[in-house]
Amino acid sequence: MRPMEEPNDVTAATAIVLAGGRSSRMGTPKALLLFDGEPLIVHLVAALRRLFADIVVVAAPGQDLPSMPVTLVRDEVAYQGPVGGIYYGLRASGGEVSFVTACDSAFLSSRLISHLLSQIPDYDVVAPHWEGRFQPLHSVYRRSVLPLLEGQLARGELRPVYLFEKVRTRRIDEDEIRRFDPEGLSFFNMNSPEDYREALKRWSDVHGSNGPGPTAAIHCTVELFGVARMLAQTREVSLALPPEATYSQVFAMLAEELPVLVGQVISTDRNSLVDGYACNVNGLHFVRSAAARVNPGDNIVILSADAGG
Amino acid sequence: MFGFCGRLLHVDVSSGRSVHHRLEESRLRQYLGGIGLGTCLLHDYAPAGVDPLSPANPLIFASAPLVGTGVTTTAKFAVVTKSPLTGFIADSLSSSHFALELKRLGIDALVITGQAPSLVYVFIRGEDVEIRPAEHLKGKNPRDTESSIRAELSCPAWVASIGIAGEHRVRFATISNEGRHAGRGGVGAVMGSKNVKAIALCGDRETSVAHPQEIEAIADSLRRRSLGSLTDKYRRVGTVANLAVFNRLGTLPTRNFQQATFEDADALSGEALTENHFSRRHGCASCTIRCERLFKSRTSNGGYDQRLEYETLFALGPLCGINDPECVLQAAELCDRYGLDTISAGGTLAWAIEAGEKGLLPEAQTLGLRFGHGDGVLAAIHAIAKREGVGALLAEGSKRAAIETGSNSSDWAMHVKGLELPGYDPRSLKTMALGLAVSPRGACHNRSGAYEADFSGEVDRFHGDSGRGRVVAASEDFAAVLDSLIVCKFLRKCFAEFYTEAAELLSQVTGWTYTGAQLRSTGERIHTLKKLFNIREHWQPEDDWLPERLLSEKLTTGVGKGVGLSPDELREMVRGYYQAREWDENGFVPARKIEELGI
Repeated sequence: MRPMEEPNDVTAATAIVLAGGRSSRMGTPKALLLFDGEPLIVHLVAALRRLFADIVVVAAPGQDLPSMPVTLVRDEVAYQGPVGGIYYGLRASGGEVSFVTACDSAFLSSRLISHLLSQIPDYDVVAPHWEGRFQPLHSVYRRSVLPLLEGQLARGELRPVYLFEKVRTRRIDEDEIRRFDPEGLSFFNMNSPEDYREALKRWSDVHGSNGPGPTAAIHCTVELFGVARMLAQTREVSLALPPEATYSQVFAMLAEELPVLVGQVISTDRNSLVDGYACNVNGLHFVRSAAARVNPGDNIVILSADAGG
Repeated sequence: MFGFCGRLLHVDVSSGRSVHHRLEESRLRQYLGGIGLGTCLLHDYAPAGVDPLSPANPLIFASAPLVGTGVTTTAKFAVVTKSPLTGFIADSLSSSHFALELKRLGIDALVITGQAPSLVYVFIRGEDVEIRPAEHLKGKNPRDTESSIRAELSCPAWVASIGIAGEHRVRFATISNEGRHAGRGGVGAVMGSKNVKAIALCGDRETSVAHPQEIEAIADSLRRRSLGSLTDKYRRVGTVANLAVFNRLGTLPTRNFQQATFEDADALSGEALTENHFSRRHGCASCTIRCERLFKSRTSNGGYDQRLEYETLFALGPLCGINDPECVLQAAELCDRYGLDTISAGGTLAWAIEAGEKGLLPEAQTLGLRFGHGDGVLAAIHAIAKREGVGALLAEGSKRAAIETGSNSSDWAMHVKGLELPGYDPRSLKTMALGLAVSPRGACHNRSGAYEADFSGEVDRFHGDSGRGRVVAASEDFAAVLDSLIVCKFLRKCFAEFYTEAAELLSQVTGWTYTGAQLRSTGERIHTLKKLFNIREHWQPEDDWLPERLLSEKLTTGVGKGVGLSPDELREMVRGYYQAREWDENGFVPARKIEELGI
């Protein structure tokens, strides 16, 4: 396959949620399973919104979904499996690069997604490999693979891994995945009511009894100094973050608020600062790891890492 | 010999005689150039116990192996002498075309001794040295001095000169070239004491390097790295960016270190200056970073562009309680015009303001010196440069002025060894506190970058411990190598592994085989040599100490409110430092260490 023209703007990547599966063993549409009183897909879209400006939901013809601020497309032929969903999603996406996920992924990791996106510049597909299997419904695809997917649909090759053999595929192995998602919860899917009960239990563990709704958001202020302030033309930004958010999430959300900082102050994968910049909390402590947790009310200071005068 | 010229030029301005002397390769290998070579020559040429302002004190201009190679930020030279401010080593750096021209004379160092019977300038053209009368230049500022000399010479010379402050032997006078200064320690007063107004150079030699193509490849890589995010601050805002950040982190010395935050910091921030006063960016010769920022001052006679760095901004701003950017720009312009070190000027003025407000220095009050009163500060700068009125006392620096004034005014004379503190409050930067206390040239932020550990989160910046000794020693050795190659510190973070890369570069320039480990021990050797000079000049353990204010008064504002620095805490850090250096418990260098380093 011909390599893509470089560079491609991964900062403008699209998220594609495949919601059109049969859910036959579950007995009820997976996208509508309730967590904290809200359909799972609503939570999913809200989580993806922190990383992606453009979200496409691929649904089956006639499938009911809650109203959401997304681009909704329908499978032209229902139940063609994941290849069909990926194909229709990529076709509707606005960007050159898309992250594809299933609608029953209740525990996505923004850090892992950012890492996958950061790997795409030299590849056509970035696919995690977890517990001996590729995870095509948690992978990043270039739009340029569309003709190949179209060919697969025509031939009835409904397994995405056929595509992986034909293009430049970056396999992300378990060790690498664990750096961002130690337990691999990103690949937790629900196929049965037992899985749903297990997911609810884990959801409670991860999000606490109140869940991740807006009322549980923690608020912090990001103060900008030097180059960051001058680029952004603002001194500070208030952010509402999910409970137990990390600094990676702060940077990702800040990137969304102030895209001008991406590539200059915030790394292009949006989960860290570029070399030469540092982060301090409340004027007191310097942040040594982007995986550290943010506390409610923190003032996060972004400054030059070089104090030379 | 590649990269070096293998000789120095000694000019005695008393007799007018000049001689070239050979410099042995072994010495250059051991001490490199710049500060290393300059320190080595200081040991040779300065008689023990010499009065810094006497004819016998040598004023040494040292070049370095990387000068003229085209490697970014390397057009630099060192000025080394015995400091009239501290009585210990003064090692200053300046940069740009004068550095390139010094090397083009085909010498590694220029040593000036003696005292001319009247004001002169030294003109060196190739092998020829001429002592020329300079009475017509008396009272001129450095910029006018440079242009006058260039106009009267038949070749395109580069000039370093002193202003009125140097002529009057103000103990913190600078030597200026092309708007830049060898600023700290009073090197300009030493030049003034020799009745030398300026040095004009016109060279015609190119120094060969061993492997030009390999050097170009390294230079090209460094050039590219120098334009990345690691130098963003310097390229896009300048060092003035520090002010707002330091204020936020509670480490911006204000009103003579009575506070570590300034309520009007916003008005003086680098961001605000850029928005309201920015005029243009400038850089030294051979530099891609181009960190210098010139800001517009709008005076009644049409205004001018003024260079401003963080240290100048802090010292003439918050340290004196000044919140008006226009006033700071004018004060900076005066210091440049007279040839005054802005840090020591601000530090001495802040001491005088406090002394005046406490009733110990009525003359300061008469002059209008009060915290926040710009007119008084401007009037005092004039008075210092000309040694008029109370200016004669302040021209001696804060240490001597406080001793002369008496009472307890030494408690808040903010200096170490006589050199005024730079703009980092040691109470909220404990590694820096140690770095300032033990630095051979006095309170200095350039001969070590001890603050880096505090700003990285590697250490608790509010609490000191003996482990800081190792951090400070490593930082000093690193700086000694940078200052002797010479490479600008603003490039330091662009190296992936500094010692390995710098050793490779040095090997390609000189043709010698240099390893990273050798270069690291060269840094230790150079630093130790500075210390040995101080010991020779009667350094005592109590000289590695901080002003009483820092040890008895806690921070009253900012995020560090309530934090202090106890004598025990400092003592413990100093002890850890001597231990890391393998010096004795009182800070003297044992013979076996001297031998181990091959000094």
